[in-house]
This record gives sequence, C-alpha cells and structure tokens, in this order.
Amino acid sequence: MADTAPFDEMHNPDGSVREPYRVLAEWLAEQPEQALPLMQSDAEAIFRKLGITFAVYGSSEGTEKLIPFDVIPRIISAAEWRRLSKGIEQRVRALNAFLYDIYHRQEIIKAGRVPEQLILQNEAFCPEMMGLEPAQGVYAHIIGVDIVRVGPDDFYVLEDNLRTPSGVSYMLEDREAMMQLAPDLFHRSKVAPVETYPENLRRTLESVAPAGAGSSPNIVVLTPGIYNSAYFEHSFLADQMGAQLCEGPDLFVDGGKVYMRTTTGPTRVDVIYRRIDDDYLDPLTFRHDSMLGVPGLFNAYRAGNVTLVNAPGTGIADDKAVYTYVPDIIEFYLGEKSLLNNVPTYNCTDREQREWVLANIGELVVKEVHGSGGYGMLVGPTSTRAEQEEFKARILARPDNYIVQPTLALSTCPTYVNNGVAPRHVDLRPYVLVGDQVRITPGGLTRVALKEGSLVVNSSQGGGTKDTWVLED
Amino acid sequence: MRIAIHHRLSITPPPGTVHALMQLLLTPQSGAGQKVESWSMDMPGLDNAARFTDAYGNIMHLVNQSRPEGELVVTVDGVVETMDNHGVLGRIGGEPVPALFKRRTQLTQGNEEIFGQFKGSSVNRLDVLHRLMAAVMEALVPEDAAAEPVPEGSEPNQSMSAAGMVQKMEGMTQSGGDVLTQVAESEGASIKSLPLASEFAHQFIGAARALNIPARYVTGYLADEGGSAALHAWAEAYDDRLGWIGFDPMLQLCPTEQHVRLAAGLDAHTTQPLRAVPLGDGVRILGISVAPAA
Repeated sequence: MADTAPFDEMHNPDGSVREPYRVLAEWLAEQPEQALPLMQSDAEAIFRKLGITFAVYGSSEGTEKLIPFDVIPRIISAAEWRRLSKGIEQRVRALNAFLYDIYHRQEIIKAGRVPEQLILQNEAFCPEMMGLEPAQGVYAHIIGVDIVRVGPDDFYVLEDNLRTPSGVSYMLEDREAMMQLAPDLFHRSKVAPVETYPENLRRTLESVAPAGAGSSPNIVVLTPGIYNSAYFEHSFLADQMGAQLCEGPDLFVDGGKVYMRTTTGPTRVDVIYRRIDDDYLDPLTFRHDSMLGVPGLFNAYRAGNVTLVNAPGTGIADDKAVYTYVPDIIEFYLGEKSLLNNVPTYNCTDREQREWVLANIGELVVKEVHGSGGYGMLVGPTSTRAEQEEFKARILARPDNYIVQPTLALSTCPTYVNNGVAPRHVDLRPYVLVGDQVRITPGGLTRVALKEGSLVVNSSQGGGTKDTWVLED
Repeated sequence: MRIAIHHRLSITPPPGTVHALMQLLLTPQSGAGQKVESWSMDMPGLDNAARFTDAYGNIMHLVNQSRPEGELVVTVDGVVETMDNHGVLGRIGGEPVPALFKRRTQLTQGNEEIFGQFKGSSVNRLDVLHRLMAAVMEALVPEDAAAEPVPEGSEPNQSMSAAGMVQKMEGMTQSGGDVLTQVAESEGASIKSLPLASEFAHQFIGAARALNIPARYVTGYLADEGGSAALHAWAEAYDDRLGWIGFDPMLQLCPTEQHVRLAAGLDAHTTQPLRAVPLGDGVRILGISVAPAA
C-alpha cells in the first residue's frame, strides 16, 4: 500500500476531474487570483469571532490556538456516502452489541472469538458496568469513526472513538463559515445538511432517557470546566441543543436521583451528556480524589434513575488491541461480513511479527495502545533514523504497549496552501448518534495535514480542517 | 445454626459538609449456606435511599444526607439461619459470569511463591484450591508461629473456636485492630495496612486468578458459641462442577455455619461494607455482636 501513489479525490489518473468535484473545479477556475487568499483571511476572521480555539497540551507558547481551516471543501458523492454510511452503521451496531455482551454473559469470549485476557485484564474494561441494563441497550450513543480513503472504493477504519469523541463543533462551524464564504458555490451544489446535528443529538438523548422520565426529559451537558481543551464545544453543543451546561458541583444525588441546583430550586436530571472521563465521573465509585464528578452519580445510573451518555466502560470497544477483532465482532453479532476495512495490525507480543516489525519499521506506523491525538506515535516513512531506533527500543521494552500498522497512502484533496492549490492528505471523522435509531450526519469532520507529504492530520500536530460535502442525488 | 447479628458502625463527615453520600453493602442474601430470617437496617436518610443490585450481585443502598451534623450511625440487626454445606454455594442465578472474577486488581496481584508450585498441575481444581489455602498460610505465617499446621488431605482443625482462632492469628502476625474495617485509602497501591483477614483472602484470590480460576472476595460475620464475634473476610473460588465454593484461608477451612455471608466482589475495595464521600476520618465500628439466636 505504501508504494502506490495516493488516491487523488479530485482527479482521475488521466488528469480529468472526477464527477463529484466537477462543480468545484469549474468554480475554482472562475475565481480571480486574489479570491482564495481573501477567503482565507475572511475565514480566520469568522473563526476568531466564533471564538473556536483548542488547547495544545505541552505547548510552551500560549495554549489557545485557532485550528487552521481550509477554504476548499472536500466532496463525497451520494453513492459513495451511501456505501460508507452503511458500513459505519454496521460497525456501531456491532460494537454496541459487543458492549452489551461483554457486560453481561460474555458469549463472544465463551465462543473463543476474542481472547478472554484481552477483555478481562484490559484497563478499559469497567467491571462496575456488569449486569447494568442501559436504556435501549445502547452504550455508545455518540461515536466518531476515523476513516481514511486509499482508493475509489477503498475505505479503512483507523479508530472507532466510543468514549467522548470531540470535534463535532468544528464540523458545524466549518459548514457555517463555508456558507458565508462561498454562497455561490453552495448555490450550485446540492449539499446534504449537517445543521441537523444538534437536533438529532437532542432526539437521540431523549430516546435513551430512563423509564419514567416523561415526554420531555431534562438533558444536561456535564463538562470538566473552562480549562478543558474542548470546553468551547461543550458550551456550544449545550447551547445548540437548548440544554443546560453544568459542572460537577452543579449536580447532586438525592434519593438515588440526580438533581441540578438552580435559582428556583432543584430540578431533576434525566440524561447527562457527560464530557468527563469515566475515572472522574463519581468519586464514590471511581477515583476517590476526583473533584470534577458527582458523588453517587454512578449508583443513580445503576439504579436506573438517570442515563449517562456515553456509558462508562465503552473504551473496551475502541481499545487499539480490541480493534483488530472488530471484523470478527461484526460477524459474531450480525452474521455479516464487515463492509469497511480494518487496517492490518501487527501484534508485537508475537515474536515473529515483532521481528518483522523491527526490520521494516521505516515503512510502518507505530502507535501506543492507549495513546491518542497523534502523541507517542511514529510514522516510519517520515521519521529519522534516531526516531526509528528509539521506537525499536520502546517496542522491545514493552511489546504489548504498541500496535503497528502499514503506512496507508491517505487520499488527497485540493487544499489552499502558500498561494496555490495543492493536494494534501486527509482523513474523515463522521459523527454517529445511536439511540432509538442510528443517525449519521452526512459528511463529518475532514482533517487535513497541511504540511506537504505529511500523513499526520491531528490538530495537535499541525493539521487543519475542511468542510465536508456529501452531495445529494 | 441461627445467628443473631447486631452491628453498629458510623462515619463522621467533616464539619461544613453540604452533601454526604454513603454506599452500603450491609444486606445479606439467602442462598445455599444461609437463610436470612429477618434483617433491618437503620440510619438517617435510609427512608429515601436507592436500593439496587450492584455489578457483583449484591444488594446495595445509596444514602445521602444534606448538611449532616456530627456522627452518622448505621445500625444493622438481623437473624440468619446458617447451614454447613462444606462451603459449597453452587451457581446462583443473576450473578455475573464467573470469568469476571479472573480479573486481577491492585489488591489481587498474586504471589508467585504461593501459586508457582501449582502451575500446570494436573491435580483436580478442588485439591489445588485446598492446597492453595495451606500455601497462603505458609507464606503469611512463619512456621514456628503456626499453631497446628493442617496436614495435607486431613480435615481442617475445628477444635478451636473460629473467633478464638482469629484472635490467635492476630497475635501471631503484626497487624492488629479490626479484622475488617473500611479500606481507608482506596487508591490502589496506596492502601496502607489492610486488615488481616483481607490479606489472607487477597493472597488466596490473587493466586487462584493467576492459575486461571475465578475467585472472589467475600465479606461477612463470624460467630461462635462463646459469643465472640467479628467482621470477617474470606474467598470463594469457582469450580465448573460444583459452582462457587467458599475458602477461608485465615482459618484454613471452608466456611462453616459460623460464617454469615454479606457481600462478594473483586476485592476488599469493591466490597467495602460502607463507603462514603466525603470520608472524613473513616468508618468506625461502634459495636458488634454475632451470637447464636434463641
């Protein structure tokens, strides 16, 4: 996969424009020379006004940054999207069935389809969830699936983010900005809306309210507070949904039920979209020293008086080592073949595989099992000798702490860089909502590696975003 | 044997506490080895408590108090009829899958010195578990201090009263005090001194899990004819044929009719009889009597 040229989403191999990009290509050709740089600076002004920033952990110069936005949208045809969304739906259904099983009878372990050790000894497995019956049987309600494209019909899932995937506010704001920046381009294309996301989020949350919550359950967004890197998103989503944004101390448990303190007295809370990690949710059940959580919250959940979204313990289903079993998981619960590809993954605890990995590290991607955000990873082809040697030593010291994958030739999209339009590598994170039904927002967040040749799209590593257009028939 | 239990414990939230939350695992359930004839619990706020089943199949209460003043006292009274089944509990409906209890925790890491000799052993599981129980004793109590070592294969020594044995055990090892109080600092490795019975149970459980045998931690009461009593802890291990079987590695026997079972979990941390936020100075045992009922 590494030695073939990356798939260009805009052009056919003969240089002609692919159909989904036809309108965009025409529009680009019509633009006067100064149009794109002007749009780019307008875009910056728009985002500054919106106040979207993110925090870079471990950066010495100011922690708040503006995430770079590229003014050229990424385009997906209706047919491509149908295929893709079918594959995503299959995956999230199977993963929720897997979570239900793992926290109940563990049939998949008994059947020998996933190793017992991998689940039971996994840090991400949450024994406190055993036997709990979540509303609608759903554990992971809000999911962001990271997908890369390597060919016209070739999509790979890199990661299923089932804990508290972030970034959906960028998807919404990118669309908002794009509509302001290029209304004429919008007018010429039939783009599926993403603005329905907050409404769909609300419907999803309402559908998983505990029994007895009534017809209009009270929904809140629980944030760790203003110092969290995604605080903007928490307040944005609460605002868009018309839900209260609250912090741990705003909530309390009384009689096994959850209440919010308000100026007019306590108000019962039915559904909590929590953006606090499992460990910090409830000092009575989890980390004793947590100041962010709500004492008794987990037990109120256990008693069936409130719904936590996502459920604690969903991390077992997006664990990087469990990831390799997702095709088996789909087959086990749905009796279907996986529609989306899994990236082949090498297991370094196996001697033969490890030796092969060490010999070929220059062509591989090495990731920490529990890492995220592009930290602690090695991209072989763009790494130095010294970095490769360092990762070899790390793998030898803790082979179970790393997974290794081939370097995928991520597809490219036209991107405005340095006074010109050039191809840059992209990935895609569609956002999926699971409640009484599966709701997938057409498109998602496209992340783009702005550095030429770079395959790392994480915003913490210099990546930007693009508006993602799914065309309607 | 009919056993009457009276147990009082308390917690004192720090002054100025706005909202205190307590989680209670103080409700025994009827099963193969015991029948709960009557059971009552009392504490401020209990009327309003949530009662539910926890992840390990125990009955849990969640109690809260707004602006608590001073000490919050929990009183437990009940009568339990116990039967001696040689520790065999069998399979109980509604419990989590036994495999869950193979999960190693901070407190049940397992000591290679104890389980090493049984690795790959072809002896049947029941024998392994009995020998494991003896091996835990050997590892925790220096040989010259051990009163009457239990010869392999023979019936455990029951001539001494159970509670008497507990007291004797406490003399032999360094740790004293309550046999089982709240695990004060619940953050894994920072747990300082665990009660003695917990230590025995954890060693047994850790070793069993290392041998791929599901094993769980059990809290309960221990009674004897003399009226001396204690909160106690022991273990249960799973056998595919017999189901769950109790092992009391501290007393070197399978639970008898002197054992009243309260709750089970992965380790002492998940099975604390009373857990609270804020914890204040911890949980105090105010009084306990476990005596044969008339």
